[in-house]
Amino acid sequence: MKNFISNIGYFFKEARTIFKVDFLSNIFSIFSIALIFFILSLILSGWWISKEVVDVLKKEAEINVYFDENLEDDKVNNLIENIKKIKGVREASLVDKEESYRRMEEILDKEAKILELFDENPFQPFIEVKIDINEVDHILQDIKSLPDIDYIRDNKNIIDRLQKLITVLTIVGLLVITATGVSTLVVISHIIRQGIYSNRDQINTLKLLGAPDSFIGFPFMLEGLFLTLVGGILAFGLIYLMFSLGYKQIGTALIFIPLPDFGTLVKTLSIFILILSCGLGIVGSLFGLSSAKNS
Amino acid sequence: MIEAKGVHLVYEDGTEALKNVNLNIDKGEIVYVTGPSGSGKTSLLKLFMGIEYPTKGELSVLGLPIKRGEEDNIRKMRRLIGPVFQEFKLIKGRTALENVMLGLRFLDIPHRKIKEESIIALEKVGLGHKRDSLVEHLSYGETQRVAIARAVARKPAIILADEPTGNLDVDNALKIMHLLTSFRDEDTTVIITTHAIHLLKECVEGEHIRINNGIIEAESRGEA
Repeated sequence: MKNFISNIGYFFKEARTIFKVDFLSNIFSIFSIALIFFILSLILSGWWISKEVVDVLKKEAEINVYFDENLEDDKVNNLIENIKKIKGVREASLVDKEESYRRMEEILDKEAKILELFDENPFQPFIEVKIDINEVDHILQDIKSLPDIDYIRDNKNIIDRLQKLITVLTIVGLLVITATGVSTLVVISHIIRQGIYSNRDQINTLKLLGAPDSFIGFPFMLEGLFLTLVGGILAFGLIYLMFSLGYKQIGTALIFIPLPDFGTLVKTLSIFILILSCGLGIVGSLFGLSSAKNS
Repeated sequence: MIEAKGVHLVYEDGTEALKNVNLNIDKGEIVYVTGPSGSGKTSLLKLFMGIEYPTKGELSVLGLPIKRGEEDNIRKMRRLIGPVFQEFKLIKGRTALENVMLGLRFLDIPHRKIKEESIIALEKVGLGHKRDSLVEHLSYGETQRVAIARAVARKPAIILADEPTGNLDVDNALKIMHLLTSFRDEDTTVIITTHAIHLLKECVEGEHIRINNGIIEAESRGEA
């Protein structure tokens, strides 16, 4: 350990020398790593945006509960409170006759004059219940068991489709993220491994002189870390540049897609790339060293 | 110091490199291992360095067993020896001094002493003035002397030199032989392999081991 600490300066100097000796190849490695991280960050951002869409879709899941029209106000309020207590219910609020009428006017837009044909407001008040989509079945059951309920418009058909869409989006997102993550690990490990492999003579010489594995491997690990870290920083720079130029435009063009906050996205991506590049630098170097050891 | 009992070495491809080698080399000896190309000299040195393991028999170097499964002991043993490889195995892109220092960095030598000892070793081999030259810019003979400096700077118990006279003319070969043997003292053994038997006439002391076809044919003490 004492030896290791006293050699810290040497390790950094040696890592710099190893980098300089194979300069061009290392520069290409940095660019390749930067591009891989860039692609991974893009995919991650896409996955994040699709997750936001899924979350919004999930929030859209709602059912309408109709009750006895003659029910007194405090009983209606009690009913709402009881519905709110059901597990999976996010929000429950009363939509009175006037609000129902207004909403229909909004939906019908130019055709709304058809509503004028009615002498009286034809709509019924109802309780609008926003729910957790995964809990729909037992929520319906629990609401049905409450008193004074006339009927429930469960939008089952729409909710089922919504649920399928969410499942597909989640699975596809996870698959893409996993596939890209694994490919990134493999490719980066391979790049670092190649670098170490080209220095195998040096590694073998040090072994023949009796150097411990930690002494032999540390400069290579530092070099691997440097390659991935610089690659990561470059990738982040590219992502930042791209997003700061185009994020608002995307948001305006795809108004129906709720984009995550720019600051949060950039901060999270920078932390992600930094941790990933450090991790992959170390793991890739260890893979490379072990393959040089076995050769 | 080095003890071999009935050592055989058969390579994976079936080549029988050494047959029934029995040896006992003591502290402070000079040993020349001679024989024609392919006789088994380098194989013997590979065993002493722990690069190969005996297929049969028992071998110990500096009291440490050389066999499969003893990697930690072999690493320990390697730190106590000073190898001079046939192809030198210096590290390119580093200066002569850096190469010599590299052989000392992981030994129990105080950090401040590493540079000092390395410079002394380079001066001993006559390369003090070239310590800051990159090894790839040195001549063949100079490169060889850097390899010797790296070995001796470690103050090893055994110096193992594999064909150090390989591509040298007689004068330079003799200089290298004398240089290597000059590091022999009561604590340091020097083992040199060479196919140039004629050079040994000029070397006044040492033990001579003649090897042919993997078999030790003759051992002689005193004059080589």
